[in-house]
Amino acid sequence: MARLGVFVCWCGANIAETVDCEEVSRYAGTLPGVTVARSYKYMCSDPGQRIVTDAIQEHNLSGVVVASCSPRMHEPTFRKTAATVGLNPYMLEMANIREHCSWVHTDRREATEKAKDLVRLLVEKVKRNVPLKEIEVPVTQRVMVIGAGIAGIQAALDVATAGYEVVLVERKPSIGGHMSMLDETFPTLDCSQCILTPRMVEVMQSENITLHSFSEIEQVDGYIGNFNVKVVKKARSIDLDKCTGCGDCWNNCMSRNRITEPVPVSVREKTPPDVVAKVDAIVEKFTDDAGMVVGALQDVQNEFNYLRQDALMYLSEKAAIPLSRLYAVARFYNAFSLKPRGKHIIRVCLGTACHLRGGGNIADAITRELGIGHGETTKDMMFTLERVNCLGACALAPVVTVNNKYYGKMSIDKMLKVIEECAGEPAAV
Amino acid sequence: MRERMRLAATRDLELLRSTLVAGREPTRPSISICAGTGCRAHGAMDLFDEFRRQLDAGGLDDVEVRATGCHGFCERGPLVVIFPKKIFYHGVKPKDVESVIEKTIRNGEIVESLLYKDPVTKEKSLLEHEVPFYAKQQRIVFRNNGKIDPTCIEDYIVADGYVALARALTGMNPEEVIDAVKQAGLRGRGGGGFPTGRKWEICRAQPGDEKYIICNGDEGDPGAFMDRSIMEGDPHSVLEGMTIGAFAIGAHKGYVYVRSEYPLALANLTEALEQSRSYGLLGRDIFGSGFAFDVELIRGAGAFVCGEETGMIASILGDIGSPRQRPPYPAESGLRGKPTNINNVETWANVPVIIERGPDWFAGIGTEKSKGTKVFSLVGKVKNTGLVEVPMGTTLREIVYDIGGGIPKEREFKAVQTGGPSGGCIPESLVDLPVDFEKLTEAGGMMGSGGLIVMDERTCMVDVAKYFLNFLVDESCGKCTPCREGLFQMYSILSRISQGRGQAGDIELLEQLGTYVRDTSLCQLGGTAANPVLSTLRYFRDEYLAHIEKKECPAGVCKELVTFRVEADACTGCGLCKRVCPSESIAGEKKEPHTIDMATCVKCGVCYEECRFNAVIAE
Repeated sequence: MARLGVFVCWCGANIAETVDCEEVSRYAGTLPGVTVARSYKYMCSDPGQRIVTDAIQEHNLSGVVVASCSPRMHEPTFRKTAATVGLNPYMLEMANIREHCSWVHTDRREATEKAKDLVRLLVEKVKRNVPLKEIEVPVTQRVMVIGAGIAGIQAALDVATAGYEVVLVERKPSIGGHMSMLDETFPTLDCSQCILTPRMVEVMQSENITLHSFSEIEQVDGYIGNFNVKVVKKARSIDLDKCTGCGDCWNNCMSRNRITEPVPVSVREKTPPDVVAKVDAIVEKFTDDAGMVVGALQDVQNEFNYLRQDALMYLSEKAAIPLSRLYAVARFYNAFSLKPRGKHIIRVCLGTACHLRGGGNIADAITRELGIGHGETTKDMMFTLERVNCLGACALAPVVTVNNKYYGKMSIDKMLKVIEECAGEPAAV
Repeated sequence: MRERMRLAATRDLELLRSTLVAGREPTRPSISICAGTGCRAHGAMDLFDEFRRQLDAGGLDDVEVRATGCHGFCERGPLVVIFPKKIFYHGVKPKDVESVIEKTIRNGEIVESLLYKDPVTKEKSLLEHEVPFYAKQQRIVFRNNGKIDPTCIEDYIVADGYVALARALTGMNPEEVIDAVKQAGLRGRGGGGFPTGRKWEICRAQPGDEKYIICNGDEGDPGAFMDRSIMEGDPHSVLEGMTIGAFAIGAHKGYVYVRSEYPLALANLTEALEQSRSYGLLGRDIFGSGFAFDVELIRGAGAFVCGEETGMIASILGDIGSPRQRPPYPAESGLRGKPTNINNVETWANVPVIIERGPDWFAGIGTEKSKGTKVFSLVGKVKNTGLVEVPMGTTLREIVYDIGGGIPKEREFKAVQTGGPSGGCIPESLVDLPVDFEKLTEAGGMMGSGGLIVMDERTCMVDVAKYFLNFLVDESCGKCTPCREGLFQMYSILSRISQGRGQAGDIELLEQLGTYVRDTSLCQLGGTAANPVLSTLRYFRDEYLAHIEKKECPAGVCKELVTFRVEADACTGCGLCKRVCPSESIAGEKKEPHTIDMATCVKCGVCYEECRFNAVIAE
């Protein structure tokens, strides 16, 4: 049976102003396994520490919870204190009721409840703790970074600059990863290559980094500080020191052993012919490459009822616009849908005038009737509901459009009738 | 299809107009049907077909039927005006067509039942301008709406269209055009109210030959739709204004950015562009002046932030419409890095009139600093909803009561919201405020694009503020942190208040956050986003306090704070509430008091709204 002590610190006013420390201490005393609970103004002060040591000796405590600041501050302090009277330091835990509680809350009652929860959690943890012994083991001061994308490269560079040896392993023939395929980066739209390429060069120039590209990890053994890793270097059959990367061997390799780069397959061949024809016709209409994105997406949506993936992929290839940009634009504007939509698209206006005159009630009624929320489509692909911000027919509030036909001065009754009429029509194919 | 010859000089235009006028007999009856989006929703196009069919069948195929742009009185659509007398019929149904043709067209008699009857005085109005809704209006921007067929450039030319362009291009130099616009005192109708002439001047002064002009037709403010009506009903006035502006600035390429929600505006503008080009009113060497200009239409795709100038420029280039830091302003570095001038639809539509009738005439209308008229979309809890054009300086009382006919169901007028999500709420106590740019801003509102949303006693101001923040959270592009995160936090606090979980200090927190968001956001979407909250706090603090302290919603709107019951003494058992209840939570026999089952009630408030005897009580 555990014999635990809980010591609640006020930290002057830091904790006590927001958390009722007396109450927390009283509560802790009622927890099963807790033998003694105290609160004190500054637990880390000399008299405070003495309260802890005295209690450990007096009650022969098997574990201690100090409810005070972050363990980053005083965990070493209290663990040392506990050790002076013979308690295994790892049988002491800190409940952080300052940074995680009093400093970030204002409501005294709720903060006190949270502090109690935190204390209870840590009491349960200490019950499950076992005394630990510190031992020393030798460590190899060398780091392996697996994967040389931008994150791996930066990690390798940081460690190398700090003076340690780094082994960088990359599966692909070249380092750089996904970032080498990007144009711009979120959210500042900085040039991706301008960030990446200087670091790629730095990797090659760093004396502390050994790079194994075109290599894979086969096996990892050992433990923290002493890993044994087996790396398979795939055959390149070239002298890397002399290779200039001219590519002649690649192009002229007579054996079948050469590295085969995937042959770029045109998206066109994988796209259904009718989609190709329709997208071709859309692209034809535009002359201004830069400005066409929004317009072209609108046409694609009009043609297919939503922005279907194969059409976007083909549009990207055909018009030489990065797919990422098409998706960025499609996600930004409300008019675009990346999901298939129903045969009947119901738009409920929630402009100010419509809001005041009960547009929200109509949208809610549709949700109750059809079981679909904003942007959702019924399973039978008959109806899609869109709650929109203003349809610009405010004098007729509340306004609804069904397949772009305007219905003014709508009521729930009239809306349900319109749905009923539409539902009578044959379903979309 | 009519053969259209290039107008090589201004006298060709005069010749064309006199030919067209001669071909039209002013005394011959003709029928003009409002085919704005509002009246179309009321079935105007069916009515149009029915008129044409019956006229042709009755041997009256020489009577012209015109589908015109929006007349503004959307509440009473479909509207029909019989020329030449301008007899005004409203709410005309296909079944009425026969009697209108028989009585009015053949015999010049009046169909009494279709005349407008004042709900208070019971007086009937025969002619359009006698209807109280129109009587106090002064229609400059809307000069042609209701008169011309927007898909017919000849109609526009007969109505003195392109006269101003001819005058500007052949009789004035660019500086004189700018001076005229400055002297007229025209200010941007998109919201900011920046002097238009000054804006043009800055753009003109920039070095380089490649300049652009843009017409901002991305009318995103919820509650405003005048730009739509202009683009739909009188597209040539916008194109003419743009061409004059382009001449003044030195631009040769223009763009009209149209909201994706306005397909009719897009169609009519496309048609108008074709027609203008075939007459040589766009293209090379317009009127033999050597000046070249053409316009391209750009479809928006549903993003409020694209109404912001730099967001719109990004969108035109096919990017996501995120605004960028200003300066440099578009006038210095805009589209493709070139000087670019952006004005709103209504601003452009004002330009031809200023050139045609002179700046002094225009400057004679309105107040000291705000000249001309402004089109407002009068909507919400008001009897006569629609578009109204009044001189600047008209009071809110005149707009809401004289033109709008007051509040329906004799409820109390509470506030008007102006300026959309960037604006604020102006309380009933300021109803005599003359509406112009300065006065509205002082009162905590904003001219914005001209939405006037009337609110009555059953509008909860916390709910309104929450509504706008929800809108803005949704429309924030997410580029800058204050707007993206700050607005979301403000919305969370307002949601908490409206659900009865508000805490002491929430109001102060809202004010503090609002100030931060205003001061640190990148563009005006964030810069003005706090206005709906700050203005409602300014005038309706008590209502916030009621939500926070008493956990009550005085207007009976916030679902978590309100329950409904039927006052048995007042209930007549008419059964209306039972019929409209979407969750079938109301029970009761005919002529017996009804009851509401709160277990299944979804608190939509429809019964509360509909009950004619105030028997449904919100608590």
